[in-house]
Amino acid sequence: MSASSLRLGAREGFLSFLPMSVGLIPWALVMGMAMISAGFTPLQAMGMNVVVFAGTAQLGTLPLIVAGVPLWLIVVTALALNLRFVIFSAAIAQGFRGVGTPLRWYCGHLLTDGVFACCFEKMLKVDDPHWRLGYYLAPSLWSWGLWQVFALIGVFAAGSIPKHWSLEFMATIALLVLLVPLARQRPMLVAAISSGATAVVLRGMPLRLGLIVAIVVGIGAGFGAEHWSRKEEAA
Amino acid sequence: MSADAGLWLTFVLIGLATTLPRASFIVLGGRVRLPSVVQRALRYAPAAALAAIVTPDVLVVSGDFAPLNPKLAGVIAAVAAALLSRNPWLPFIAGMAVLLGARAVSGG
Repeated sequence: MSASSLRLGAREGFLSFLPMSVGLIPWALVMGMAMISAGFTPLQAMGMNVVVFAGTAQLGTLPLIVAGVPLWLIVVTALALNLRFVIFSAAIAQGFRGVGTPLRWYCGHLLTDGVFACCFEKMLKVDDPHWRLGYYLAPSLWSWGLWQVFALIGVFAAGSIPKHWSLEFMATIALLVLLVPLARQRPMLVAAISSGATAVVLRGMPLRLGLIVAIVVGIGAGFGAEHWSRKEEAA
Repeated sequence: MSADAGLWLTFVLIGLATTLPRASFIVLGGRVRLPSVVQRALRYAPAAALAAIVTPDVLVVSGDFAPLNPKLAGVIAAVAAALLSRNPWLPFIAGMAVLLGARAVSGG
């Protein structure tokens, strides 16, 4: 019974994530190529890809590693880049009730922006814990596989794809494709615009801390907009 | 410590700095609950984070605010494709085509 609801959840999670997972391919290719151009051996590049498994943290720390920056600063930068995951983790945590601790660690390790954006709503709505686990794990494992396979292709293709193709722009498009359906709701749009504007204004802050301030500002603005529109409805 | 060992240590520490924030509340689960006001506010986190990552990427060119660049044209095309069509490939095709086209026209 539980195995079949796990499978049903996995099927639905996989199908709803499949179209957007296309966006991971250019990201992973770019990542593989970037690590080789940073001077890593293929083994080191794939080692980082497996151990870290995070595009933003990997791309963000790469220039620091190359520059020989002290280790503590690299780790603090990685933490700053990943602080948004504390927020995501808290938002989706209720979806893991009924799941054991070791599996929770593994699910946490696999948490990515795309899977969060795709899964979080249903993870909180559905009651069956097996269904939820399948619904979360299928897209997560699919992401992991795509990430490793296409980074490996990037590692070996480094040098043969012309730079002026600007493949990294596909990553920007992928993030936008995640953002568009969210921003159809008015308070979400307010959150996105405020956060985006703040990130541009604070781009000079050290350690990319402007990113975190921008997220906090965006959340505040969205929340404020929600309250304001409720008051208007009541009036 | 050899340079290679130092690099692997760096990977492990960056990995920890990634997995700990990701797993934090998922592992703590029911033992720590956020107040419902915080949970409602957190619904805005993904939109805010995505916008915070993407916007400077598009509007800032080598440190300067320069919104009128080929990337913006590509973004407009990609967003239009995402709004008007359900085809998952179209935003990528439209965005990349307009970016490369605008670059060719502007000579950049």
